[in-house]
Amino acid sequence: MKVVGITSQQEVYVATKDRNFRINEFLIIEDSYQGDLIGEVVEANAYNKYIPMNLHGELADSAVLESLRAIGYDIEEDTIYIAKVRLLNEALYPVEAGSDVRIPAFHEVRDLMVRCSPEEGLVLGVIRNTDHMAETMDEEYKNLLYTFEDGRLERQKEIPYIFNIKTMHQYPHIGIFGGSGSGKSFGLRVILEELMNLNIPTVVLDPHYEMDFSQTADYLPGEERLDYAGKFKCLQVGTHVGVKFEDLSVQDLKNLLDASGALTDAMNNVVDILYKKRDSYTSFFNRLKMLAEAQEEGSVDKIRRRIEESKTDLERQGWQERLELYLNYDKSCPYSSVRGIIWRLNRLSNEGIFSKDIREIENGLHNGKLIVVQGSTRILQVFSTYLINNLYHKRREYKDAQYRNEASDYFPPFVVVTDEAHNFAPKAFECPSKAILKEISQEGRKYGVFLILATQRPTLLDETITAQLNTKFIFRTVRSSDIATIKEETDITMEEARRLPYLRTGDVFISESALGRTIFARIRAAHTSSPHTENPFDELKGKFEENENKFMDLIRDKLPINGDDFLNVIREIEKEAGITYTLDTFEEKLEDMVEKGFLIKKKTPFFNVYDEK
Amino acid sequence: MFSLNEELRGEIKHINDTLLNKYREVLSMDKKLLRKFINNYIGKIKKLEKMTTRELKKYVELGGILGVDGSKNRLGGAYPHFIEIYQGLARSTLHKDKPVFKTKIYTPLQLEESSNMLEDSREEKMRSDKNLADIEVEAALEGIRSFNPYAVIMDGSIIRYDIASKEKWMELKSECEERGIILVGVTKDIKTCIIGQKLKEEKIISIGHKFHDRELLYGTLDYGEAVFIDIETKKELAGIESTFLRSSLSPTVIAVDILESQKAHLEEMVRLIFTLTPKNGRGVPLWIDIVDSEVKIPDNMIRSLLESYLDRRLLEMLFISERDKRTI
Repeated sequence: MKVVGITSQQEVYVATKDRNFRINEFLIIEDSYQGDLIGEVVEANAYNKYIPMNLHGELADSAVLESLRAIGYDIEEDTIYIAKVRLLNEALYPVEAGSDVRIPAFHEVRDLMVRCSPEEGLVLGVIRNTDHMAETMDEEYKNLLYTFEDGRLERQKEIPYIFNIKTMHQYPHIGIFGGSGSGKSFGLRVILEELMNLNIPTVVLDPHYEMDFSQTADYLPGEERLDYAGKFKCLQVGTHVGVKFEDLSVQDLKNLLDASGALTDAMNNVVDILYKKRDSYTSFFNRLKMLAEAQEEGSVDKIRRRIEESKTDLERQGWQERLELYLNYDKSCPYSSVRGIIWRLNRLSNEGIFSKDIREIENGLHNGKLIVVQGSTRILQVFSTYLINNLYHKRREYKDAQYRNEASDYFPPFVVVTDEAHNFAPKAFECPSKAILKEISQEGRKYGVFLILATQRPTLLDETITAQLNTKFIFRTVRSSDIATIKEETDITMEEARRLPYLRTGDVFISESALGRTIFARIRAAHTSSPHTENPFDELKGKFEENENKFMDLIRDKLPINGDDFLNVIREIEKEAGITYTLDTFEEKLEDMVEKGFLIKKKTPFFNVYDEK
Repeated sequence: MFSLNEELRGEIKHINDTLLNKYREVLSMDKKLLRKFINNYIGKIKKLEKMTTRELKKYVELGGILGVDGSKNRLGGAYPHFIEIYQGLARSTLHKDKPVFKTKIYTPLQLEESSNMLEDSREEKMRSDKNLADIEVEAALEGIRSFNPYAVIMDGSIIRYDIASKEKWMELKSECEERGIILVGVTKDIKTCIIGQKLKEEKIISIGHKFHDRELLYGTLDYGEAVFIDIETKKELAGIESTFLRSSLSPTVIAVDILESQKAHLEEMVRLIFTLTPKNGRGVPLWIDIVDSEVKIPDNMIRSLLESYLDRRLLEMLFISERDKRTI
């Protein structure tokens, strides 16, 4: 391999007759003046001057090439391989043309490839096209993982990609971009598995109900399977966790109500006026309700009459209170707005939000667990606002107190993870969860709170947040607007951006600010599998087969069944299995079985006979 | 824009008329009649089959095929201020990593005393032809000595070597004959008048001019057909047998020459050349094209070589013509 053509300080062309180049391969250029220079292949070509691309038909046909091969000359041996190599660090002078080029040994590139031990970092996959160097790799980096290649599980052959989580202190937050089916959710799963391995407290917002780690992957060899059962917890909003009403601030409450249904200015005003500090759900709700009832009466006189007509003390007291509320608030709180708030509050309450709290999440984080919070996107948007605000401020208070040398309860640093992040921090409009995510993106680093945001639409993600994502995993992306955003926000090159629409599922460009360059990697095989992996069409087929088998079991010992005997058979089945068929459905079922080839139908002059095949 | 010179257009039209007039006979000649004439008076037209892979594999055991070609680059202006670089290449299909290169540089200035400043251009042309032929024959000689091939295919008619480089050619010829190495030449541009001559002599088809074989055979032979010439020709007097072959779908024909002593191998060699020629190509065997492209040196490379290794003053003074410096 030699450097050919015109060189520069950044790029050179390398040519050889012996081997083909692969994109993202590393090469060492032995420049006689500047010493060894390391570069990466960014473009690879092969060329044979005897097989030109010619539009005028002068093309050596295969018969002639075959004949030449027969007399001993193989034209393919005259193929030249050319690679465009970009230097990792700019050289002081243009590279000397004619310099020798070789494949580096592992120790020469170790610092570029792996920067922490597998025990300390996240072992996420392999760096592509490094198998030549991996041969001389230290034992500690070997056999760490498996990858899927063309649907087959393969042992690690390349250098592992280990994300040094400690660099997040200087270069916080991770973005994961990629279209659907690109391996994005899968990559997120692997990242979460690694976070669990390191016992890093993590909160995952999971609108898809897919981040369940209880199913170990059956494809891995038995002794290498990992069980995450004790390391994570799936909690559903309303069922396991909720909001403690007493802890809510006015703003929190307004956000919650807003998520339930958009608030008008008047409604906002109603909450401001009627909500008292330390209100419980019941006290707040009663106040609203009584005011509404008073307003329904319509006037002070009518309420007074109600008081006079009261039969019990309790009733009288109640109307007395209503009168007070009416006098205080009727002018400032229009009836329709009060009803609106009641309706929204009811809706939230029915979802169970106010009946639980977030103590279980806090406990989990204290124990270094991964907490998966599940719920619909709408409810998660609101709940996450409350939850993350709460957790972030707890952590912040602890750190600030520590700084001021005051005593305070310990709260651990943690990571917030979410898929479909553009729903939680959209670019175009305001949304309650956006403010807190934005705050964490800008200041979280100081307090040890980090974000991992996955989205298929980086273009729709808030720009301030995107700018703070220091590490980006970029999977296959087809939309040109998203590719443009990715180009703007990362250091991926033109050549790499051009490859984005064609990446294979699970292949990823990793752009790390800590590294200052982009790595082409493949995500490892996960230790656990998603609950959504069953193909719905297989599911349908399975379901039908199950039904058919069940029916066959019921009628097997009654075969052959005569057409004039249905009634008796139906009665027998009802007695044995407790399942009732009408004559019509029973006949329909039998016909169906005939059609599917389980039974045969014989016609007689009087009736049909159904028998086993 | 370019303004079209009316006079030039007229001249071109005139040439077209003259040529049409001259070649009317050829253009309107009956193909069947001409083929019959060739069959009867020149030699049999034979349809050839391509060689099978098995037949071709035999050549690997027998030593492979040696392809020989030469190239010439010229830099500079009029006599004697120019320099010529000749390169010959012999390449075996078996030893592809060991090409035999021969080079020679010639400039009239190198000679002690030029006899006549207005050197005869014909003599100069002969010298140039000799140099090129010499270098090719030398390459072929070294090629057969180091690789001992089954056959040698030279680019161009082998009679050329007999004329331009008599001594060395004789050496090559006798060595090939002694060692049983078949020597053939492949001519892309045939310049002979064998058929035209005979046509005029026999007067069977009335014809006004003595047409070239290239003109008469254009489109007359079908793909894969060859004419094995049976009659006495000038070449035969020099001990060379010839064949015309339409080796590709392009209507032009090529000629294959062989030493008379090796005449028995002629058909075999013609078939080999036919097999090695791309069907949609110009009619040249791919192996010869490959050797040809290998031996050619781009002019700018020659120039940079001279710029690197010749004294700059000498170069400017002697070999850079005014024409080379022109920029518009």
